[in-house]
Amino acid sequence: MADMGMVGSGLGSTDTCHDGAAAPQHGASRVLLIIPCFNEEASIGGLLGEIAATGCGYHTLVVDDGSSDTTAAVAGCRSRVARLAQNLGIGGAVQTGIKYAARQDFDFCIQIDGDGQHDPRAIETLLNAYRKQPSNITIGSRFIDHAGFCSTRMRRAGIRLIVLALNGLFSGGGRITDPTSGMRLMDRAAIEFFAKAYPTDFPEPISLAWAMRAGLTVNEVPVEMRARETGVSSIDGLKSASYMIRVLGYILLARLVRSP
Amino acid sequence: MTNVLPSAETVVVISAFALIYMLVLLKKTLQGKFDLYDFLMLSMVAIIPAGFTLFPGLAYLVSHLTGVVFPFVVMFGALFLVVFAFMHNMTARLHKLERQNCALIQEQSLLALELKTKDSGQPGG
Repeated sequence: MADMGMVGSGLGSTDTCHDGAAAPQHGASRVLLIIPCFNEEASIGGLLGEIAATGCGYHTLVVDDGSSDTTAAVAGCRSRVARLAQNLGIGGAVQTGIKYAARQDFDFCIQIDGDGQHDPRAIETLLNAYRKQPSNITIGSRFIDHAGFCSTRMRRAGIRLIVLALNGLFSGGGRITDPTSGMRLMDRAAIEFFAKAYPTDFPEPISLAWAMRAGLTVNEVPVEMRARETGVSSIDGLKSASYMIRVLGYILLARLVRSP
Repeated sequence: MTNVLPSAETVVVISAFALIYMLVLLKKTLQGKFDLYDFLMLSMVAIIPAGFTLFPGLAYLVSHLTGVVFPFVVMFGALFLVVFAFMHNMTARLHKLERQNCALIQEQSLLALELKTKDSGQPGG
């Protein structure tokens, strides 16, 4: 298991870090990459390799969400792994990582999917966006530049509805275009907020609703995403419609209640 | 509407059901499978029909007061009320247990990771 020091990608540095492992810097921020995984043995090794290849020396935590395959073993060669005894879903897995970040005093955590959809080179884009415009949450959005894989037409239509609901009901800074993106940066305030409460159902859009309700700010930055390398999405066909209705209900509920 | 009293057979059948059902509930409660709240709520399935059968005058009075023509509608209404109250409480308890279960699994995984990190002599984080 590799141990990594302070990273050059921290906010103490403005340099990108593609020139080998970054030396620890005084005052540099500590960044944790949270990678929730469920049966991702085929893709997690490659993803961790890509992260190492960025040369930024990021701390990584793979959260194995009760996988029945060798995800934990494959990931354990290159990263710390938190193994959940049973499948909690993406929300429970991500919150495990956030709790770890809170306890280990990380300044930032960045969630990226374990299925290879997110290009690790975009992590630096998120950090740079934070340097330019600090927000409690910075989302990597597919729909600002419309570059790369932008999901199916049906799902894009659904995402547009969620966007309308979030932007209409909450004000948290900039307007959101990609609330279902699983690539997002959280600063210390967001880490502490989500360590206490994080939604288990539809965590990406609902966590934004909770955060904006609590007064946290949200910003977006364009990133390019790839189609899944392995596996299939759990939200397809009729499930998409059900997903939409339930998400909109939860967003409305989040607007009506005071605290999670 | 003319008050119709339950027959002796009805009283015997309902009473026998209530008695046996209550004994089964009591046994399970003593075994620790139900708590007192469960026992009280579930026993309503026996107590309400038995009350309506053994005290038919009360059933007619309640139906008259509520403006319901048939006393059995009042009885089923009361039963539904109890069932929904029980479901409401059970749903809240289930969600609480779900949250606790989730938190417990997260804590276990983080503690295991911490132990592993300490065993390997690496610094945290």
